[in-house]
Amino acid sequence: MHAAHSIASGMGGMRTTGDLVARLQLNKGMRIEQAKQYVADKLKVPVTDLADSVTMGEMREDLNIGVVNEAPGVAKGIDAKFRIAELLDLDINCVDMFKDRVKP
Amino acid sequence: MVEKQQLFVEAKNSIVNQNKDKAVDLAKQGLDSGVSGIELLEKGFLPGISEVGELFGSGRLFLPELIVAGQTMEKVVEVINESLVGGEAKGDKGKVLIATVEGDVHDIGKTIVVSIFKANGFDVKDIGRDVPNQKILDEAEKFGADVIGTSALLTTTMVQQKNLEELLRKEGLREKYKTIVGGAPVTQRWAKRIGADAYAQDAGDGVKKLAEIRKD
Amino acid sequence: MGKIRTRLGDGSFIELLEEEIYEDLVDGTQDAAQKGRIPPLSEDELRYLLDLYKSKARVVGVDEGHECCLSYDNMTSKIERAHISVSKFQQLQLFERALGADTLELAHIDYSYKQVKHVVIYDKPNMEQAVLLTIPPMLYGAMPNLGLYTYPDGPCPNPGDLLPQGKFDEAKEAYAQAIELAIKDMIFVGSELYEAGADGINFDTTGAAGDAEFYAALKAAETLKAKYPKMGIEMGMAGEFILGMHGEIEYEGVRLAGLYPHDQVKLAQKAGVTIFGPVVNTGTNESLPWNLARSVTFTKACSEASEIPLHANLGMGVGGVPLNIMPPLDALSRASKAHVELCRLDGL
Repeated sequence: MHAAHSIASGMGGMRTTGDLVARLQLNKGMRIEQAKQYVADKLKVPVTDLADSVTMGEMREDLNIGVVNEAPGVAKGIDAKFRIAELLDLDINCVDMFKDRVKP
Repeated sequence: MVEKQQLFVEAKNSIVNQNKDKAVDLAKQGLDSGVSGIELLEKGFLPGISEVGELFGSGRLFLPELIVAGQTMEKVVEVINESLVGGEAKGDKGKVLIATVEGDVHDIGKTIVVSIFKANGFDVKDIGRDVPNQKILDEAEKFGADVIGTSALLTTTMVQQKNLEELLRKEGLREKYKTIVGGAPVTQRWAKRIGADAYAQDAGDGVKKLAEIRKD
Repeated sequence: MGKIRTRLGDGSFIELLEEEIYEDLVDGTQDAAQKGRIPPLSEDELRYLLDLYKSKARVVGVDEGHECCLSYDNMTSKIERAHISVSKFQQLQLFERALGADTLELAHIDYSYKQVKHVVIYDKPNMEQAVLLTIPPMLYGAMPNLGLYTYPDGPCPNPGDLLPQGKFDEAKEAYAQAIELAIKDMIFVGSELYEAGADGINFDTTGAAGDAEFYAALKAAETLKAKYPKMGIEMGMAGEFILGMHGEIEYEGVRLAGLYPHDQVKLAQKAGVTIFGPVVNTGTNESLPWNLARSVTFTKACSEASEIPLHANLGMGVGGVPLNIMPPLDALSRASKAHVELCRLDGL
């Protein structure tokens, strides 16, 4: 069922920018057009590219915000989320908590 | 004729408005003026309970009101039964034993079904939730049920409905009872696969299906 | 003219003429319009749906640019229920990396806030570790499941027993007690998991026990949002209208019983919910065209009334998808495309 929805309608998650758009929905309550525009503006790409795995895959690699097929040394997990928080100008709960925990 | 029609309209409204006293008065008034009990039920009170079912099914009337409407209908049926010589309108519709299957404690749907069935003149015995199949069978024997209805809300518990069919066959009782199944994950397809006699999508559908299988 | 193969709501194949499909589409949208007191679909929208059924494509999908976000509830349990022996972390990574999920959700197999309360001590470190490992937004999900607070599962009397005895006041009192306990558990679990790093909380299958349960979830959402203003809150519903088990409960001056999705979402939004998941039940005795037109009609009205994102529930037995544990691809992809495109959905 999940694979079917993903093929029929999904943005693609971290293959593209679905996870970034979803962050704006979940934490800012933005509807999809506004959320897509917000992400597109931050990434400086057209909205129409957001669900494309080729261009967005490269973009993720360049921005080091996490990719599906990881090469050695690229940002993983919370490392990528530190960059996403900065890129989207958005508070991410676990990132903020991490910062608090490692405070001197 | 106009007066009779008016009586039927008022009878229907008394059920929809859950007005017990008014409903009983109207039943008595109708019988006293020579209208048959069956006609009173079929043209007045039953259309009322049918509308109650529709209103409940579309979220315009709620469970407490549904239950009072059902109880109002039961009172009316009692009055009409007393007037019938040599038979009961209620008993004619059949005895239905109802349970939620073992492992499943969900009973909201069952409560609704029991209310609607009773209101439609079936003699219903509700033996509760989380009931083992052997107990369902024992209770059906004791009650003298015509129909066994089971509810399952979970994909993990609906298998008990299949087990009940198997138990009935094993005990040589399959032909003695009609079975009707319902519940969120249950479908006509499932009913057919397990060999149940009927599937009820909701309480209103259940009333129709009961009438159909009782005719067979 | 040849017949078109489609299905009933239980997944069984049926064959219908084109005009029969159109009639079912009209009946389906009219049914929703009458019940919900909302506008039916337009002629163009019905023709769009008809074309979907005329298409022989096994899988259909949205046009470019209409892609939406996919949030899957009860995520980790879905892998466990298939008895695939992988850890919760691996399950989340499967959704993240293989299944195109845009959000992730950690969940306990016994998926109710009441049950989760007892294992929070174990799921908190799971959450702490999961947010280190994964990248998409992470929710913690469970069901309000008010039924667990009443006999035989809980300490409160069961209104299902009291109401048929005519004990209406006692039933209302039992609901009041159950609501209080449920709110407490939802706030406790929500707080603990947010403080373990979750981006948000999911109240899944809300309203399964009727208006009292919807009220409890709204109150819990309201309290959590006041406590953690940045918390994401998803609320997925259990059915298309709120069952009036109590009948008189109000939230913000609005009676909850009988509310359809377009009114439910307004209250959810007031309570601080950031993603709302409407549900429209599939009628298993009706055709899929009837069901899809009906579901799209309700969902479209909800989307038009909403200011927050909608992630409609399109799975087993809801949203025009057949009631079968393995929903067929043809039906699921048609439901997916139609809802997203006609309802301007934000997600599923």
